[in-house]
Amino acid sequence: MSMRARSAKPFLLIAPAVLLLGLFLVLPYINIGIMSFRNPGNGSPYAPGFTTGNYLRLFSDSFYLEQIANTLMIGAITTFACLILGFPVAWQLARTQMRFRGLAYGLVLSPLLVGIVIRSYGWTILLGNNGMINRTLINMGLIDHPLGLMYNSLGIVIALVHVFLPFMILPLMSALQGIDPSIEAAARSLGAGRITAFRRIVLPLSMPGIQAGCILVFVLSLSAYVTPSLIGGLRVKTMAVSVVDALIDTFQWPFGSAMALMLSLTGALVVLIFARLTRMKWKAN
Amino acid sequence: MSKPLLTGYCLVIYAFLLMPILVVVGASFNAGAFLTFPPQGLSFRWYVVFFNNDVFMRAIRTSLWVAAVSTVISGIIGTMAAMFYIQHSGRWKESVRLAMLLPLLLPEVLTAISLLFFVYSIGIGTKTIAAMIIGHVLITLPFVFINVSAAMESYDPAWSLAARSLGAGPITRFRRIMLPLIKPGVIGGCLFAFIISFDIFTISFMLKNIGTATLPIQLYDYLRTNFTPEAAAVSTVSIVLTLAVVIISEKVLGLRIHRF
Repeated sequence: MSMRARSAKPFLLIAPAVLLLGLFLVLPYINIGIMSFRNPGNGSPYAPGFTTGNYLRLFSDSFYLEQIANTLMIGAITTFACLILGFPVAWQLARTQMRFRGLAYGLVLSPLLVGIVIRSYGWTILLGNNGMINRTLINMGLIDHPLGLMYNSLGIVIALVHVFLPFMILPLMSALQGIDPSIEAAARSLGAGRITAFRRIVLPLSMPGIQAGCILVFVLSLSAYVTPSLIGGLRVKTMAVSVVDALIDTFQWPFGSAMALMLSLTGALVVLIFARLTRMKWKAN
Repeated sequence: MSKPLLTGYCLVIYAFLLMPILVVVGASFNAGAFLTFPPQGLSFRWYVVFFNNDVFMRAIRTSLWVAAVSTVISGIIGTMAAMFYIQHSGRWKESVRLAMLLPLLLPEVLTAISLLFFVYSIGIGTKTIAAMIIGHVLITLPFVFINVSAAMESYDPAWSLAARSLGAGPITRFRRIMLPLIKPGVIGGCLFAFIISFDIFTISFMLKNIGTATLPIQLYDYLRTNFTPEAAAVSTVSIVLTLAVVIISEKVLGLRIHRF
C-alpha cells in the first residue's frame, strides 16, 4: 500500500457524512438566511432584490411580537413543569433499588416510541370540550359546563409537558446516577438536614443534568409544530405554527424565513442567558 | 420525600405518561361513529374501515418504504462516520462529534423549512420522494452515529492490526473482524433510525407531495377534519408495528439502545 493511499483513506470514511451535512444542512441554512432578506414576491415565492423589510415588519407588528412572547412563555412554563415533575422520577430511577426498575425505565422511554401525532391526538381525546376529562367531571356532577382545556395555552402546555418529559428525565437521571450517595450521607452526618443536604450537595452536583434537560425541552417546545397545532387549533397559534402556515398556505417565503430565524435566534439567546446564569450559580455554590 | 410518597408520586407520573396512549388504543375499539365517552360498546369496525381505506394503506406503505431506504443510507453513512470518529479523528474529535449531532441540535422546523427552500432552488423540488428521503437521512444520522460510536469505544484497534498481519485486506478486516463486534451498535442505531423515520412529522410535512404522504401526515390531515375512531385504529396499528419491531429485536438480538 502506498503512503498516499494510506493517508487519504480515513477521510473517505467521513466524506459521505461531510458531503451530506454540507450540501443538505449547511447550504440550506445559508440559503434561508439570504432568503429572509429577499423581497416578497407577487404570485411567486419571492422577487429579485434585497430588503430588511421582512424583519422590520416582524418588529413593528405587535401581533407577531405578542406571538413570540407567548411562544417563549409556553416554552418556559413547559420546561419548568417538566423539571418539577421529572426530578423526583429521575431521583427514584437513579437511587432506589426497585424490583421494577427496568419496567419503570421502559415506561419513561415508551412515549418516545409513539409518534408525536398520535400522542397529541390522545390529548385531544382527553382535553376536548366533550373529551374524557370533561365528560367524567360532568357525569360525576362536579362541574356543569366543560372546562376550557383545549384551544388555549393551558392545553398546549399540558400536552407539551407530556411529549417532552422523557427528555428531561433521562439527562437528570444520568446526572443523579453520577453523584456518590456517600457524599450526601457525609453531609448528613456532619449535621446537615435533609433539605440542606439536597440544596447544598445534590442540587449543585446535578446542575449539568438540569441544564441539559432544560435546554433540550425548551428548544424542542419552541419548534414543536404538531402538538400546538392540534391542541391550539385556529385560536391559539405558537410561532412555529404561524411560520409553517405562512409558508404552506400563503407562500410568503422571505417573511416566513425571517419569522423562523427570529424564533430560533430568540430561543438561542434565551438558552445562552440561561446557561450563563445557571453556570454562575453553580460555581458560586 | 418519604419512600411511599415518592413511589406514589412516580406512579402518578407514569400514569400521566401512558394515559394519552392508552386512551387512543381504547378509543379504537369504540363501536360508535364518534369518539364519545363512555364508549358505545366494543367493536372492530374501525379496523375494518381502516384496512379498506386505500389512502391510509398507501400512507403506511410509503412510511415503511421511506423508513427502510433512509435507514439503509443513514446506517452506512453513520457507521463510516463513527469509524472515522473513533479511529482517525485525532484532535478533531470534538468537532466531528458536534457536526454529526448537528441535525439533532438544530430546531427541526427550521431544518425542514431550510431544506424545502433549498430543494426548490437547486431544482429537485418535492415532486419525487428524494427530498423527503434526504430529510429523513439527515434527522436519523445522529442516532446511528451515537449508537455505533458507543459500540466502537470498546473495539481494540489491535484486533484489526492482528488480522492485517495475518494477511486480511481492509474489506475482509471490516467484514470478518470489526462488523461482528460492533453489530449490536449498528443494529441498535438502525432500529432507532427506522422508528424515528417512521414517526417524524415536521420534515415530512414540509417535503411531502401529493401521493407521498407518510402515515403521520395522513393521520394529521385526517384529524383536522374528521372525528371518527378510525384515526384511533390507524394509531393503534402504528403503535403495535413499532412495539413489535422493538420487542422482536430486544428478544432476538438482546440489544441495548443508546438514545443519548
